[in-house]
Amino acid sequence: MMKKVFFILYMVALLGLTIFSYLFIDPNLIYLKDFYSGFVYKHRYLTSFFYLLIIFVFFTSYFLLLKLISKKKIDFKNLRFLIFITIAISFFSYPAMLSFDIFNYVTTGKVLFFYHENPYIVMPIEFVGDPLLSFTHAANKIALYGPSWILLTAIPYFVGIGNFLLTIFSFKLFVSIFYLGTVFLIWKISKNLVSVSFFAFNPLVIIETLLGGHNDIVMIFFTLLSFYILMKKKSIILAIIFFMLSIFVKYSTIFLFPIFVYIIWKTIQKKTIKWTKIFYFSSVSMLAVFLLSPTREEIYPWYAIWFLPFVSMVFQKRMLAYISLAFSFGLLLRYVPFMLFGTHLGVTPFFKTALTFIPVFFVLVYVFFKDKLWLKISFR
Amino acid sequence: MRNLYLHAIILATILLLYAAKSALAQSSYVLPYPPPMPGSIFYKIRLISEQIQKYWYFGNFGQFSYNLKQSDKYLVQAKTLFEYKQHLLGEEALKKSDMYFKYTSKYLSYAKEENKNIDRQQKTLKEAALKHIEILNKIKIHAPKEIIWNPEKSQPTKILLSGTLAEAIRIRESCL
Repeated sequence: MMKKVFFILYMVALLGLTIFSYLFIDPNLIYLKDFYSGFVYKHRYLTSFFYLLIIFVFFTSYFLLLKLISKKKIDFKNLRFLIFITIAISFFSYPAMLSFDIFNYVTTGKVLFFYHENPYIVMPIEFVGDPLLSFTHAANKIALYGPSWILLTAIPYFVGIGNFLLTIFSFKLFVSIFYLGTVFLIWKISKNLVSVSFFAFNPLVIIETLLGGHNDIVMIFFTLLSFYILMKKKSIILAIIFFMLSIFVKYSTIFLFPIFVYIIWKTIQKKTIKWTKIFYFSSVSMLAVFLLSPTREEIYPWYAIWFLPFVSMVFQKRMLAYISLAFSFGLLLRYVPFMLFGTHLGVTPFFKTALTFIPVFFVLVYVFFKDKLWLKISFR
Repeated sequence: MRNLYLHAIILATILLLYAAKSALAQSSYVLPYPPPMPGSIFYKIRLISEQIQKYWYFGNFGQFSYNLKQSDKYLVQAKTLFEYKQHLLGEEALKKSDMYFKYTSKYLSYAKEENKNIDRQQKTLKEAALKHIEILNKIKIHAPKEIIWNPEKSQPTKILLSGTLAEAIRIRESCL
């Protein structure tokens, strides 16, 4: 019964989100003008309500799945099928529903591969008259991402054979392959279905990676690959290459550099490595970087991908797992104020911050009382 | 009568503001700070970085930016050297600035051949040319018309600075 309820809820959330995403088509996106409805601009309350409903259903099904897996009611085969379904359905969603980064990836790719200019020197806006400029939001900036990412985008860019829609969906497919690779690595490292589900079916991961096509998953994939290579005592050089590739996707994994050096050092000394500790400290480091991100710009929801894969491997650390889940939920709520008010100014920033941290606050209060931490503190 | 005065004051203010604005527009192009000068260790580093950057700034727009940046730097270098009466080094820097400035137009025409819209870059180039001419005219006032260079082991040579400056101005004017 529980399995059936889960499946129905999950399908409702996934299909609902995919269809709902097309209501967010940008009015300037000429390539999809036949699908443009303007619904989200005309019906802000209704849009926010539907979005919240989908998020709640998504999280309910996610928690049901985690429960089903911990009770061993879902096996490896079922999970494999679910992952396939998730990728297949999300692939058809409109990627710029919540962020326009995928357009930036395509535009940056065009600067390099079509115009043959250095995207770190020349901004897309300099190509006056380019049709992509009407809907690319960071056209007035030079490339924001690392060289590994820009060079890797040659694959989806050329697969798109100059057709914008084909290019967009080949970028989505490209990112989906890295999602699959990351999930596979989590399975190979942990051999635990809960770890796999904790990451693979987290609504934030699905929305930001499979729907939004954010490249954070590519960065994480290469880090996990380098850790996995070291775990299996294979080539250190190969591990270093993959770790460097990861850093030069989006730079954030540079904060794992001390941990990486420690693993290398232990590997050279042929000493046992406590991988649980490695993943725990990796989670904490990436969570810290995530929390420090407002010093640069702001906390974007997809930044949670930096720590979620590591947390999934130490999900037994209850506090860390709870905080990660609370952040996953809170970060998806972060989109609601803009949907509702249609502006990034005024009260929107306050509500965005509040919605991000309120779930975390409640989780901390819950853990504090459930574990009777107040008793432990007072008896100290 | 009172109204007439008022109108005259308003009109004068508008004209004054407009004149101030147009004067600003003429020199809105910003030149860089003086770069490391010959003789300094940083000058050698600068020359190496200049060669590396040549490859980093690939593409026709990239090359346009690179050459304009170098032209600006050498012009500022020339100005500084002339101010310190280092006329020979100043002339050398000015010739380098001219060389880089000539390349900017070349790369813009390549970009045009690739069907890239070059309006923005052309506007920048015109602004740069105006600023360069402004600086060159300032140099012209203070620099001697010609200098006699006495190398250690050869005959003295007469260098026509006025000719070099006139040529530099002519190169910039061809872009306007």
